[in-house]
Amino acid sequence: MKKFILFLVLLISATPCFAQNQRRNISIVGSSTVYPFAALVGEYFTRTTGNLSPHIESTGSGSGFKRFCAGSGLQYPDITNASRLMTSEERATCLANGVTQIIRIKIGRDGIVLATSRAMPKLNLTLQDVYLALAMQVPDPENHQRLIANPYSRWQQINSALPNVAIHVYGPPPSSGTRDAFDSLVMEMGATTFPLLRKMKKENPAAFKQAANRMREDGRWIDAGENDYLIVQKLKTNPDACGIFGFSFLKQNEKSLQAASLNGYLPHSANIAAGKYPASRSLFLYAKKQNSSMVSGLPAYLQEFVSQRASGERGYLARRGMIPIPAGEQRRNREIVKSMQNK
Amino acid sequence: MEREKMSLLTPSAALRRRYRRDRLFLLAGRLAAVASFSTIGLIFLAILYTSLPAFTQSCIKLPIHFEETAFSNENLDLANYDMLVAQALARVIPGVTDPGEKEELLEMMSPGAAWRLQRMVNSNPKRIGTVQQLWLPASADIDMLRKGKFDRTTPERRRRLSRRQLKWYDQLNAEGRIKRYFNWVFFTAPNSTEAELAGIYGAVKGSLLTMFITLVLSFPLGAGTAIYLQEFAPRNRWTTTINVTISNLAAVPPILYGLLGLAVFINFFHLPRATPLVAGMVLSLMTFPSIIMASRNALAAVPRSVCDAALALGASRMQSITHHILPAAMPGILTGTLLGLAQAFGECAPLLMLGMVAFVGNIPAGITDPATVLPMQIYLWADNSGQGFPEKTAAAIVIMMLFLVIVNTIVLWLRRKFENSHPHTS
Amino acid sequence: MSIHIFLLLTLLTAVAFQLGRMRAFRIAAHSGGLRKMHSLPRHYGSYTALRFAVPAFILAGLVTLFADNIAMHLVWSSLPEQLRTLPEEQAKLLKQVIIHTSANQPAPGNSASATAQAGWQLKQLTTGALRLGWTGSILLGTLSAGLFLKKINCTLPARRTMEKFMWGILAACTGVVIFTTFAIIASVAVEAVRFFQFVSPLEFFFGRTWSPQMAIHAGQVGASGQFGALPVIGGTLMITLIAMLLAVPTGLFTAIYFSEYASSRRRHLLKPILETLAGIPTVVYGFFAVFTVGPLIGHLGLLLDVETSTESALAAGVVIGIMIIPYISSLSDDAIHAVPKRLREGSRGLGATRSETILRVVLPAAMPGIIGSLLLALSRAAGETMIVVMAAGLAGNFSFNPLKSATTVTVQMANLVGGAGTFNTPSTLAAFALGLLLFLFTLAVNIIALHIVRRYHARYQEGM
Repeated sequence: MKKFILFLVLLISATPCFAQNQRRNISIVGSSTVYPFAALVGEYFTRTTGNLSPHIESTGSGSGFKRFCAGSGLQYPDITNASRLMTSEERATCLANGVTQIIRIKIGRDGIVLATSRAMPKLNLTLQDVYLALAMQVPDPENHQRLIANPYSRWQQINSALPNVAIHVYGPPPSSGTRDAFDSLVMEMGATTFPLLRKMKKENPAAFKQAANRMREDGRWIDAGENDYLIVQKLKTNPDACGIFGFSFLKQNEKSLQAASLNGYLPHSANIAAGKYPASRSLFLYAKKQNSSMVSGLPAYLQEFVSQRASGERGYLARRGMIPIPAGEQRRNREIVKSMQNK
Repeated sequence: MEREKMSLLTPSAALRRRYRRDRLFLLAGRLAAVASFSTIGLIFLAILYTSLPAFTQSCIKLPIHFEETAFSNENLDLANYDMLVAQALARVIPGVTDPGEKEELLEMMSPGAAWRLQRMVNSNPKRIGTVQQLWLPASADIDMLRKGKFDRTTPERRRRLSRRQLKWYDQLNAEGRIKRYFNWVFFTAPNSTEAELAGIYGAVKGSLLTMFITLVLSFPLGAGTAIYLQEFAPRNRWTTTINVTISNLAAVPPILYGLLGLAVFINFFHLPRATPLVAGMVLSLMTFPSIIMASRNALAAVPRSVCDAALALGASRMQSITHHILPAAMPGILTGTLLGLAQAFGECAPLLMLGMVAFVGNIPAGITDPATVLPMQIYLWADNSGQGFPEKTAAAIVIMMLFLVIVNTIVLWLRRKFENSHPHTS
Repeated sequence: MSIHIFLLLTLLTAVAFQLGRMRAFRIAAHSGGLRKMHSLPRHYGSYTALRFAVPAFILAGLVTLFADNIAMHLVWSSLPEQLRTLPEEQAKLLKQVIIHTSANQPAPGNSASATAQAGWQLKQLTTGALRLGWTGSILLGTLSAGLFLKKINCTLPARRTMEKFMWGILAACTGVVIFTTFAIIASVAVEAVRFFQFVSPLEFFFGRTWSPQMAIHAGQVGASGQFGALPVIGGTLMITLIAMLLAVPTGLFTAIYFSEYASSRRRHLLKPILETLAGIPTVVYGFFAVFTVGPLIGHLGLLLDVETSTESALAAGVVIGIMIIPYISSLSDDAIHAVPKRLREGSRGLGATRSETILRVVLPAAMPGIIGSLLLALSRAAGETMIVVMAAGLAGNFSFNPLKSATTVTVQMANLVGGAGTFNTPSTLAAFALGLLLFLFTLAVNIIALHIVRRYHARYQEGM
């Protein structure tokens, strides 16, 4: 009994022995689309250089920027991944919080895919179809001059060539960069096919944004979380649902998922790289230059990310579904990282 | 009308009805018991069955030439280990010249093959210049094929292995170069993005560190509180409120503690996210109530006569407690603590909020290194749609259940040992 | 604290104990035996040990915690003027850089940068401060214990002081536990109040649209930010109801079979298994729900030609039901088993059958315990997170069709807070409001349970 109490007292007071004061590992947040790539690079980085593994959270580009810009120092992440550019407003927050030396690396290209289970008939969509299926307010089919609440509940009602399946789409929440890209690349493009909205865009851009980007809230559009793996799981078992995520998730699950074509183009590596697939966008990584003198592995991690064996034409990232950027841009990336190291 | 012969021994219709109802009742009880045990039993059999393939890993035997030209650089880490693997594959399967086909060939191996070569060279540079036949891990797809979980009939466009890869596989298999080994990696490695390299040791270590913090915080504080409340605290409105609060806290959903941890420990005190330190603190808040309640019950169950006798013989209040009541109640307190810890061990809802849903690719060294815990690893893998991950998930569940069965056996043993024997009366 | 100094201090504490004890023995020998002493020798020993350990450990702990801060302060004041007068943010960064260099770099040459020099200096100073502090702590402890050793005599009430000390520790434990608990509940309440500054409670509790994902930056259009929690609450209640419908009869009958019909050997064998089952982590059931039950319900739906969703309330409810069966049966079994045997014997003696005895005599007597177990299971089901995160939906549908997708309070909490690091948007604060709601719900359930238990208890005591 006494010995036991003694043991406990010893245990408690020994706890501080194990504590370390400062974070030693790299901390990464941001886009769920980039997450699998970041994890893969992190793994190569850890296993081949013997550095501590980075801690990588999938938070979405928006939340990622929020945490990234919240301050400089070790409580805050060193890197945020993004599937969109940093907005000027976010840059201002960063500056206000002392995050001044940010480097941006364009790591690759990606296509936003609308995927369904293979059990469902294949969707061949136009941007207009997607807009009509998902926007909260759409032009009245009878009278194209006014907007009404979205009346469509099945794909066939939008376009008779589409299958007679209920509309049921899992999409990224506003905290995700994929959502921003989807808004501007798909929803707005789809909306401008209507003269009414084209006019509106010229005359009242704010109202146009509202009309084009506001997603319906009757349960047919579902803001899924920042876990794209989870959406993939849900699609596999849900034959009539459709999911929106990055190309790599499709590539990893080609056995059970198929992509819808947009304006006649399927999301293939070639189509995305050439920009033919309408929903193609670039992926980025933002890092704090200042932190390279506080976190040992930071330059080495970035170096691994831009290296030939990772981002190259036949690199391991490309095998996972990232579309590599042209060799010239890659060289530029390597120089950026090098300049960071030499500092 | 014939008068029926009535005997007290033959049951009347009403009695027969009552007996029938009695039998039905028993049947319902039996069915319920069988149903509840068999459902949960089936779940485990299903999980166990799913997990089996994860305990072995297919390896391919390759003749690796550690040629000196490959190690011209002073820094051994910069050598191209992938090339060593590719050259060895070319030796086994000659005649592949197209770069695309070469890549397909290399994709049959896990990236872990090259990493293993790197480790071997680093640990013993004398290997440079030798030729060795090595069993190196195959990729997850080949692994699945070897385990018979790959459907060759799916159209090539949709399956993950090409026609050529299948041909090469058959060739290697015929030569006896593919074999399944016990998957040590699974028990010694941290998490990985590749199923064939993913292990649970990182998560287990994270769990153990977390449990260490939880034990250190919740046991002394919980037991101390219980002793104070049960033996010393005055009985007044305050203590009644405290008692009610504690019993209420025991029923609070675990996820709320995650919210608390996020608001207080991370956002206010700036403790590092996703570390066993924070996780242990949050989980110990969650286990306090159950430890306090179990300890109070154990203390209350010690016969007062023991205490009275001690007091009558001149012992002080504190002496009667530390010498008599506490030793008698200790098994109860310990079992309560163990059960509380077991619950904390398997809990991951609060940790969802503490940044533990993350990739951590190495084994945490201390309580302030980022880590995940075993149930969180299971959650992460269950979502991962990659090839081979469902099996790993099931295997991780099996390991976690083993831990819990061990804890429960200890609890049972403690209880049986002390069930009817009061250490001071026997 | 370095492990070495820790072990050294522990060892010295043990030495202090021995010294105190031996001193007590010696004094006792001089003054007419142990009986003349106020306390036992080991009390004097413990007291001496305490006298050593408390100051020594506290000082050593403080030194370990603050040595680097002190060293940093010294280093900072020796830095060149232009570095010292940096704005606060940059100064903080510079300090972190210096700490990093001190941990990772060897001694710099004379030409090295100011930070490298400072890092090296910091390392030297920290080591120096630690050594000084640790030596000081040993000296302080020795001094304090030594003075006490001198004071030991027959009348010194060592035991009483020790007991007071222990009492103090126990009371402090209680204080810490109670304080943290309340402080933390308060912190959630504060965040929830902040949420209600954005959204009126009326809208939150009675609104019928749940669409919390608002725009995260200007120039973006998110959801309208409607925080009507009714669909979320409805989903939670429906899933809980399904779970209870499945688990209550099964669990209760299992408990009855266990306590009334099973042989004692079988009960002894199966009861621990039941308790182990009650402790299975819920993530395991989540895995089962995703991989087995969800698809199963989907296939059944296809067979019967009913439109189902794989994340139907039914799937989540059924799995939660399976999860809580062991809780209900284990706890109810305890309650039923605790009913005195004489009640059963009396009833059987009067001619009642076994089932009649159980239904009319045993169950009413065990009712408080049974209701307690049911309510515990209810709050478990409502607060269950992992199963629903993995198997239930994210969209708040206001519908009572169990085959449609439903969301729950816990899913929304996990989804809204998940990766967020700051709480300045209504959507992350909404998680706290939902949390408060869940907390109040479990509180209410618990209070009702206590009340029922007390009433039944009173009635039964009167009746007996």
